[in-house]
Amino acid sequence: MKSPVFRFLRELLSRLHDSHREDAVALTQVEMQELENIFALLVLGSFVGLPAPPSFLAVELLPFMERELKIMSRRAEDAGDMLAEMCGTLGID
Amino acid sequence: MKILFFTGKGGVGKSTIAAASARQISRRARVLVQSLDPAHNLGDIFGVRLGNGKKKISETLSLEEVDLQKLAREYLERETRVLGETYRYLQVLNLDSYFSILKYSPGIEEYALLTSIERTVNEETDFDYVIFDTPPTGLTLRFLALPSVTITWVDRLILIREKILEKRHTIQKIRRPLKEGEIPREERLKYDAGDDAILRRLRDFRVNYERLNSLLQGAACTVVLVFNPDMLSLRESQRLVEGLRELRLPLRLLVNNKITDRNRDMAEKVEAAMRNTAPDVPVEQVPLSASLYEGNETVLYRIAKDLGDRF
Repeated sequence: MKSPVFRFLRELLSRLHDSHREDAVALTQVEMQELENIFALLVLGSFVGLPAPPSFLAVELLPFMERELKIMSRRAEDAGDMLAEMCGTLGID
Repeated sequence: MKILFFTGKGGVGKSTIAAASARQISRRARVLVQSLDPAHNLGDIFGVRLGNGKKKISETLSLEEVDLQKLAREYLERETRVLGETYRYLQVLNLDSYFSILKYSPGIEEYALLTSIERTVNEETDFDYVIFDTPPTGLTLRFLALPSVTITWVDRLILIREKILEKRHTIQKIRRPLKEGEIPREERLKYDAGDDAILRRLRDFRVNYERLNSLLQGAACTVVLVFNPDMLSLRESQRLVEGLRELRLPLRLLVNNKITDRNRDMAEKVEAAMRNTAPDVPVEQVPLSASLYEGNETVLYRIAKDLGDRF
């Protein structure tokens, strides 16, 4: 049976490791979310006045785009304060 | 199965020529004539009442008038149902009223038309010929262009989607694999192309429209352009020839319809201009029919020359 101290240390190390991994993926994640935002804008662009694909394409894909819709509306909300957004992304305090 | 589209400006006699050809071809093969024109007059030409579905006129000839409004409505109802199931929490927002607006959105009618053609071609395999009497030029060109336009959009969207999945894959690779039964603190997204519903749907679209496009541009398809001896009809027909050329759709016959002794000079002039616009396409002349009925039988489709021989 492992001692509680050993278990605690192991957990701590694992969390530390995870935290480093999360740091490493942070920028790629932002990039991915931007791509998802662009994807949503392209498909649903007619809602905001962008050139849009044939409407049926948007209607057919809409049921699967919950995540993209959420990202798009969050990006629209954050668009007013782009500087803070960029600072957050690049980790500037 | 051979597919024939009869196109032209509104009122030039597309339905009459389509009906005449159908009658002639039906002497040697099984024919289905389908009217896609919102202002149907196929039933009037054959002197019958057409309701829902196909109606058999003879052993080898069937007619059908497609209700575009109904098709569009059915399509939107189907999609609303799927949406309602997916976004259950949005039902308070009254999705129905939102989709009643979509009915007027550009593209829905064309999509309904194209879907109807696709369904007919896939399901009506008992017929040797399917003849489509199309709506006036503008709508016809738009729905015939739809597969190409859609493929262009779908290709771009597939590229972006694949890039997104690639990023997800990278993120997943950096993160450690989950232990048995472990619930991750962060959101873990699917990165496999087979698991992504959007990419799957986009690829299905691509295959579907590619097939439809090659069917429309292939040897089994024929576009017949009907025009009249007047300048307006000439101009619009010339635009239609250009449009068909751009879409690489096979225009194989021109019909100079409603020729009389009085307009013969004009008919020659218009025909010469059309021959210039479409040099390799043969032209048939059809005289104006003086009456609609002889007794109970319509005579409009009794055109002396067998146009059906061409197909």
